[in-house]
Amino acid sequence: MRNVGLRSRGGWWPALCIGTTGCILAVYILLVTSNWIYLGWHDTLYFFSKSRMWERFWLTVWTATISTSISLFIGIPAGYALSRFRFPCRYLFASIIDLPIVVSPAVVGAFLFGITTRFPFDWISEFYGIYIGRNVYGVLLVQFTVTAAFCARLMKASFDMIPVRFEMVSNSLGAPPFRTFFKVVLPMAKNGIIASMIVVWARAAAEWEGLMLFVGATEGKTDIMPFAIYLDWNGGMMGWVTSMSIVCILMAVSAISAMKIIGGRSNVW
Amino acid sequence: MSGNGQRRKVFNSFFYSFAGFLFLYSAYLFLSNIDQLFVTEAAIKTREVTDIWGEDREVLNQFAGGFWKDVYFWKSLNLTLAITLITTFIATILGIPTAYALSRYRIPGKSVVEILFSSLIVMPGSVIGICLIVMFNYGPLWEMQNWLGFKFAHSIFPGMVIASLVLSFAFGMSAWKATFDSVNPRFEQVARSLGSSRWRAFRTTTLPLAKSGIVAGIILAWTRAMAEFSAVLFFCGTFRELPASRFSDFTKLLQMDQADWVSVAVWAQVEFGNIEYGFALAFVLVFIGGISVYVMHRIGAKGYVW
Repeated sequence: MRNVGLRSRGGWWPALCIGTTGCILAVYILLVTSNWIYLGWHDTLYFFSKSRMWERFWLTVWTATISTSISLFIGIPAGYALSRFRFPCRYLFASIIDLPIVVSPAVVGAFLFGITTRFPFDWISEFYGIYIGRNVYGVLLVQFTVTAAFCARLMKASFDMIPVRFEMVSNSLGAPPFRTFFKVVLPMAKNGIIASMIVVWARAAAEWEGLMLFVGATEGKTDIMPFAIYLDWNGGMMGWVTSMSIVCILMAVSAISAMKIIGGRSNVW
Repeated sequence: MSGNGQRRKVFNSFFYSFAGFLFLYSAYLFLSNIDQLFVTEAAIKTREVTDIWGEDREVLNQFAGGFWKDVYFWKSLNLTLAITLITTFIATILGIPTAYALSRYRIPGKSVVEILFSSLIVMPGSVIGICLIVMFNYGPLWEMQNWLGFKFAHSIFPGMVIASLVLSFAFGMSAWKATFDSVNPRFEQVARSLGSSRWRAFRTTTLPLAKSGIVAGIILAWTRAMAEFSAVLFFCGTFRELPASRFSDFTKLLQMDQADWVSVAVWAQVEFGNIEYGFALAFVLVFIGGISVYVMHRIGAKGYVW
């Protein structure tokens, strides 16, 4: 940062850049820490010691884990297909796959209303006696819908970073395609996949807009943490709201830190 | 050799089937809801019994709630498009210098800054909304608003812009940062050594090289602003039922009074019982989002961070 001062010719530009960055950072740090400042240390400890908080936390964790594993099961092969195969109208198909993450999740939740009462879902739920709607299965379905496309997108980015050349070499040496995939592509993409997995998990744990219309919150059954914030906010319980948003912020920040440590790149993901 | 081709076929169809599943799921998710737009007998009867819609009932009983005849729809669309354009403009003005600084200069604690901006992307929207409420409605910022004489929360003009700016900026900034990272700083150094000033070196070398990425970031920021829901819901709420006296003449002039953010309007209408109307608004949002994501794929947006 030497010679950045206003004296050097055109030096106002770096000064402007750094000044803007400083202001923006101050606002965002204030935004993220405002809950701590509001709540204070002792109240934070009080709310953190309540079991109601940790019941909601574990509900969030296990629903996000299950929906992430289903998303990974579908997202890894789909991401590979999107990354490697060339087919006509590729962009159109990719856009439609991306639609559930591009439109507002509240809208996706409204659309899930329709799909669960129609052809495959009504058969499945009748046959297995599962009701998908205002219970934990509804939570899982919402989380899956939003994270599956997201997961495919991240996996596509991870596979894009691996040169196709390695697969070509492996194929030319006589390895069948599946062996190439499992022995060459997957080990090379391992870090990217783990990093993406963490981000997908964090995204699943952050999902709540879709629940608003489709699931609703039942205390102790479907009130995953981001939704419980809305619920308690409507109930006027500001202490619960701020302490739960502190937990959510910590979850997001620790997930992203873990991703950075593993070596995922946040910008191209 | 034919065995090899067979294997390749099995391999391709295995991977295609997963992508195809996602495609079919997503397409079916949206297409299966088209019949929600048609008004059912039950809905007509319910509206007769409850009788809270009054004269509007005839319009609501039409296809898709007769949304194109409702001035609320046009005002909401106007409001959302205008606010998202303002948001994108502000995000671009602030985001490009910030992204450039984070990409090129040595800033202490840069990794912490990156973690902060990346974690905003996976933070629940409700947390963002609550943070905004706590930040602006308590403490020194609240004093500042009292001093200024107007409130940020529950208002259209600063409120909605602030609420949609938080995530829109974070998304756009990471896209622009990725773009500047991919441009070799050497070009700029050469321009500097040939006697350009710092600003001129940036404007004549890095900016043209990063042009497509910057456009992609702008589209991304706009799309994210359109997809905003929870921050607007927490920080601004709904405006339809408020009395006309609550809105300033300026908002009335811009045709933004008694209108809602479109995705909030979807929620409000479905909760209110106007399912067809809500789904019509939802399809409008899907259409807009589909176009912008298609454009993003077409221009090959690098740093596509959704």
